[in-house]
Amino acid sequence: MTTQQDVKESLKRGGYIADEAIATAVFLALRMQKPILIEGPPGVGKTGLAKTLSQVLDFPLVRLQCYEGIDEGKALYDWEYGKQLLYTQMLRTQLDNQLSTATDLRDAVEKLASEESLFFSENFLVQRPVLRSFLSEKRSVLLIDEIDRSDDEFEALLLECLSDFQVSIPELGVLEAINKPLAILTSNGTRMISDALRRRCLYLYINYPDVEREVAIVRARFPEICDELAHQMVGFLRKARDLNLRKPPSVSETLDWAEVLSILHIDKLTPEVVANTVGVISKHQADLEKVEELATEELGQ
Amino acid sequence: MERIISRFVSELRKEGLRVSPGESLDAVCALALGNMANRESVRELLRLTLVKNVNDIPVFDEVFNHFFNSYPDGRGLNVANLLDESIFGVDGEQMLGTNPEMINENMTLANVDAGLRPEDLKDLVALKEIDMDQLDGSELDIQLKGYRGVMEAPRPSNRMPQGPITTAFKPPLMSQKRDITFSQREIEEMEDAVNRMLLRLKKDIRRIKNMENRGKIHVIRTIQKNYRNGMVPFLLALRRKRKQKPRLVVFCDVSFSVSHAAHFMLLLLHTLHNRMMDVRSFIFNAELAEITEMLTNTPINNMLDAIDSGDIVNLDDNSNYGKVFLKFKDKYFDNLRGKPAVIFLGDARNNFNKANEWVLEQLREKAGYMLWLTPEDRDLWKRGDCIIEKYGAYCDRVEEVKSVDELNLIVEDLFRNIYLEDEHRAMRSIKRVDDEDEYDYRDYYTRGKEQTPPRFDTEISRHW
Repeated sequence: MTTQQDVKESLKRGGYIADEAIATAVFLALRMQKPILIEGPPGVGKTGLAKTLSQVLDFPLVRLQCYEGIDEGKALYDWEYGKQLLYTQMLRTQLDNQLSTATDLRDAVEKLASEESLFFSENFLVQRPVLRSFLSEKRSVLLIDEIDRSDDEFEALLLECLSDFQVSIPELGVLEAINKPLAILTSNGTRMISDALRRRCLYLYINYPDVEREVAIVRARFPEICDELAHQMVGFLRKARDLNLRKPPSVSETLDWAEVLSILHIDKLTPEVVANTVGVISKHQADLEKVEELATEELGQ
Repeated sequence: MERIISRFVSELRKEGLRVSPGESLDAVCALALGNMANRESVRELLRLTLVKNVNDIPVFDEVFNHFFNSYPDGRGLNVANLLDESIFGVDGEQMLGTNPEMINENMTLANVDAGLRPEDLKDLVALKEIDMDQLDGSELDIQLKGYRGVMEAPRPSNRMPQGPITTAFKPPLMSQKRDITFSQREIEEMEDAVNRMLLRLKKDIRRIKNMENRGKIHVIRTIQKNYRNGMVPFLLALRRKRKQKPRLVVFCDVSFSVSHAAHFMLLLLHTLHNRMMDVRSFIFNAELAEITEMLTNTPINNMLDAIDSGDIVNLDDNSNYGKVFLKFKDKYFDNLRGKPAVIFLGDARNNFNKANEWVLEQLREKAGYMLWLTPEDRDLWKRGDCIIEKYGAYCDRVEEVKSVDELNLIVEDLFRNIYLEDEHRAMRSIKRVDDEDEYDYRDYYTRGKEQTPPRFDTEISRHW
């Protein structure tokens, strides 16, 4: 991919309609080998972008879902204690043979110590997502999802990985990435991400798309929805977003709704249609009424 | 190009954005890589690399528009054009007679001249800039604006919340009708401020928690945790006390003299309630009413309406602290539990009623901490009917609060106190809530006998 336009088009082939900012961000991330930090309201396609990228670029997707209390054992690497123990047990006789030649205690200890590196080798290293994506044969897409759910400590842990694409393991030394992955971090903004992490990333804010882009998104995913209906749907949902709902309908709701409408073979929106399918667009009881009211107002005549 | 970018970055910094040198380098790099066909794509490239916070995007756009529109000849130059022009300068002979506008349209940096060295470019751009400095109306504006920025030095993240909340806190003119409802934005800002406060607190509290209880091993948990390691305790599980939520009792005077401070106090409590602690809230004037239920169940604006229309306590009366305290003692004293921290918000103007300060003396025995907040200046405390000195004698602390920021700081401070306090109190308190309570030890041995351990483990444990 040599220009933003290329990026845009290949994303489109994967069914993801990108705007200028998104295409530019992806293009720069690929060229400058920098992670992208994506913020925006839920359901506007932050995770979707990573998935589509892995599909169109043919990079394997390595996903790390963050949660409160995630640590390096879950994200970077871990030692397989059980396996280490088991090996120690099974190699017991071997070790005995080795040590039986030792003349005194000091000698035995030295012999044992020379074999120590065997037990802290990559054989016993469990690769967790970050390390796995660094060491994978093929360049991969590393998706660190909902980073705002993790703690500050974890964020700090990621700094080294994301700026230098390397992981330091005390027993083994520094493991450098074989293929630097395309790292994508997403955040819903429930917590402020530290400036240190922001500085290491390109920052992309994805907001709700404009009418034409949203219509294009619907049409790309569900070609059977005619242009007129798509416009009607998108127009209605945009008004619904201004209603100050508890959970405003996002693009993922638009797509769900489009799917429902295409299954039901509906080609025009009426208040009844909205009332029957309102559960797809709004996810709170208090919101249901507001949306239905809007439907009678907007689509009543 | 580097010059232009660094000038642009310094403009951004004057407006309060924090841009690091590394990010400026990124921007230069991005411009070199990316396609600078038109103004919008340059904007995207710069925005992706220089702005790292969604709140800063409008500021960036403003600066971008000013900065790249204020070039002398009024054609609305941007970086792309400027670069193209400089190339035109270099290759002037070769392209003599060609209309520069046309060139700008159909050529980009890459395909014009591969032999062009970056140094040439820089010089030319620098020349261009000198021109710019000599002028001009709109440019002057920006410069001035820039200096203003230096004076105020706003930090971008503070920029939003500072405005409306503080202004709304000022007491209104007497003639004005009281307008108390909060706009959606104010509520959001308050939540934002509280969130940040909670975050800061959380860190402290976590540190305190981590410091305590170190070293006590929870045997059963440790065994469970090390199941896959053949019961060899590689990983330790430590015992941890379960923390009780701190309790807080708040009294708000809602008489006219302090109502504005009270409203913000209520909003603050509303946001804090249930997230961090148990709050019992009371409002009073000449009478006392508990509004804890309302705080949880009704939207804040409806509640304030109810308070203001006098549905809960009669607003026409003058505040009577003595009577209120007496009532509190009669009605609520008995079910006051867990050594709450008590906050009073009021000016202690008792309208020459009976003070009944002995109630506070008794309350002090039940409370873990007592804090009195007043919106009045310290100078005024001794004048008129103010008996804050009398009441203040029983409090751990008396403070004046004038703005939301101050209020936030004090509440934050209080939390630290409560949590730290809690540590000491837990030491001497008789009933301690421990994690152990969850476990029933009575069947521990029988449980062990009934279960036959898996074969894998017996193997290993025999060897060990």
